Amino acid sequence: MGGTWLPPALTQMAREADTLFYVMLAVVTVFFVIVEVLLVTFLIRYRRSRQRQVGVAVHGNNKLEVVWTLIPAVILVLMGAFGVKYVYAVQNPPANSYVVHVTGHEWFWEVEYPNGVKVQNDFAIPAGVPVLFDITSQDVIHGFYIPAVRLQQDAVPGHLTQFYVTADPKDIGQTLPVPCDQFCGQGHPTMVGSMKVLSQADFDAWLQQQKEKSQ
Amino acid sequence: METVLQRPRRSFLRDWVFTVDHKKIGIMYGVTALFFFLIGGLFALLVRTELLTPDGRFVSVQTYNEFYTMHASIMVFAVIIPILTGAFGNYLVPLQIGARDMAFPRMNALSYWLYLIGGLVLFSSMFFGMPDAGWTSYPPYSIQSEGPGIDLWVTSIHLVGLSSILGSINFIVTIHRMRAPGLTYNRLPLFTWSMMVTAFMQLFATPALAGAVTTLLTDRHWHTVFYTASAGGDPMMYQHLFWFYSHPAVYIMILPAFGIISEVIPVFARKPIFGYHAIAYSSVAIGFLGFFVWAHHMFVAGMQLSAGIPFMISSLIIAVPTSVKIFNWLATLWGGAVAYEVPLMFAALGFIGSFIIGGFSGVLIAAVPLDLHLHDTYFIVAHIHYVLFGGSVMCVMAGLYYWFPKVTGRMYNNKLGHLSFWLYFIGTQITFFPMHFVGLAGMPRRYALYAPEFQFWNDVSTVGAYILGAATLIVIFNLAWSAVYGKEAAANPWGARTLEWQTSSPPPAHNFDKIPVVTENPYGPYDKPEGEPGLSPA
Repeated sequence: MGGTWLPPALTQMAREADTLFYVMLAVVTVFFVIVEVLLVTFLIRYRRSRQRQVGVAVHGNNKLEVVWTLIPAVILVLMGAFGVKYVYAVQNPPANSYVVHVTGHEWFWEVEYPNGVKVQNDFAIPAGVPVLFDITSQDVIHGFYIPAVRLQQDAVPGHLTQFYVTADPKDIGQTLPVPCDQFCGQGHPTMVGSMKVLSQADFDAWLQQQKEKSQ
Repeated sequence: METVLQRPRRSFLRDWVFTVDHKKIGIMYGVTALFFFLIGGLFALLVRTELLTPDGRFVSVQTYNEFYTMHASIMVFAVIIPILTGAFGNYLVPLQIGARDMAFPRMNALSYWLYLIGGLVLFSSMFFGMPDAGWTSYPPYSIQSEGPGIDLWVTSIHLVGLSSILGSINFIVTIHRMRAPGLTYNRLPLFTWSMMVTAFMQLFATPALAGAVTTLLTDRHWHTVFYTASAGGDPMMYQHLFWFYSHPAVYIMILPAFGIISEVIPVFARKPIFGYHAIAYSSVAIGFLGFFVWAHHMFVAGMQLSAGIPFMISSLIIAVPTSVKIFNWLATLWGGAVAYEVPLMFAALGFIGSFIIGGFSGVLIAAVPLDLHLHDTYFIVAHIHYVLFGGSVMCVMAGLYYWFPKVTGRMYNNKLGHLSFWLYFIGTQITFFPMHFVGLAGMPRRYALYAPEFQFWNDVSTVGAYILGAATLIVIFNLAWSAVYGKEAAANPWGARTLEWQTSSPPPAHNFDKIPVVTENPYGPYDKPEGEPGLSPA
């Protein structure tokens, strides 16, 4: 069923993020099951059966405290550490990136290409090339979010935020939603753009066509 | 000399409006917060009703934006914080430490009246124009937003914020100076421990919020440019100030709730609390670490991504003191004699069983790489509701049922109590769990209209919300009816050992005929009861 789980991942980076998600989900699921099973077991096993029954007079156990402090602490810090490499990978786009300027408006995305062509909401990117989005806003804060690449950055007036996308050639022809996910007023839920993945040749033709349209 | 005994004159005005009795102020906080709970819940149901269909057939987008803003603002500022600190805190702290009242009774009354007026100002926006910028009210949108909605919202925040600050000073002084003889910090009931940490958090965090909303107001009306980028201001500054308050506020909304759990579980397991010191000091750890995680709300807000890494680590580490508490509560149940009374059901299955889902989803979104996808989606909405509803509200329910006989001297209706528990427990899962799914799939929050593929789980959520609405009405009816017609309860029907149960139910105006002298920790071992009333065999 659509709308129930992570959408298909468009990029290698997105697949890495998904791997991290599944690893962390597995770890927290193990702890979740442990806690729920203990909870339900104790509730059933130690149910008061006689009116005058009292529990055992135990006040605590320092060894246990140390164990259940340190184990989660180590696991949590390790989970954080695993994410660090990915953060730097997202932060440092390849030097040869194809730069596209994105500006949030009430209520549409304006996407400007290096040749000066501007399109609204529905834009295209070439596959196989790192495409760097330079994102800002003309009015209020918007959120430039592409679920298929698992990335988003707010479009903030006075700030330039960025992330890059390298689409797989096998995904050529796909069109992906680009919703605004930072509340921006009445047009917020309809401020949904789309990103089409094209081959380099088709992309060049598309860009040329947009240029002619605008003249 | 001849003494003239004169009965004190009584009237509604004297008894309630001019009262400085912490118990009456606590009750007024509670009743007021429950009233706002109904209003905030009504807005939640309106929001969920709109989301039944993807194409928004019920209200306009603008109206929807106002509804969800009112829902969240009321629930955070007029319900959860005031009911935990104002109602439970005020009623219980002086009783639990064996004091006759709070340190500053008149200031305590002032806190309540400021809260009431603040809540009513927010409420009044229903008639003058509601705020529409979300409970976070980020500029520049909140500067641009027209009508008096945001101004009323700011005024309301100022009033309830001042109320919070005054209240927190009162708690700190009261707990520090007015403990009964022998009641050392290491014998302090755990609810009072959590209230002390909460008070410090309120005192340090609330001024940041006041600064944020004040500058927002001056930007709106007096041409300042704190948040106008084109004039050299910076919209991100607001977010830093806002979250410097509002992340600690999450702990302000959960620490007293943890305190309630720490009171309820040992009493109904009839077993000493496991790891008293670990539970007390982990609250302090949460209070401290809570001030170093705020920017995890801003990983995608324009910060350099790697600047999020220290906040990611601190956000993951703050899960440690919380999990320490969970393990200690589980260990308290272990080897206990657990009575399936309504407060225990809410505390154990309701709270622990649901809250940990919010805790675990919190671990996932604390990781910068995952937040880059999940930020501002319904995954976040699922997380915050598992924490605030599966967490705080479950605890509020546990506390309401647990202390109901103390406050009213009567017992609630047990059957309705159990019914409300099961509806709450099941309703919580049906309402909030599906939000994880649509969030993972990329449905942004604050959308009145959405893609048709998200409809199924949204409809499931809406059904769950109606169940929660019905359950809430049952709770309110049960409490209101039982307060008048309930069976009379004994002074200590649960066999609890904290001081509030060692006086009559309801307690006299002066709390204790003789100030108690404390000689031990209040969590047992529990004596074998001698057939005292009120404890039915399970």
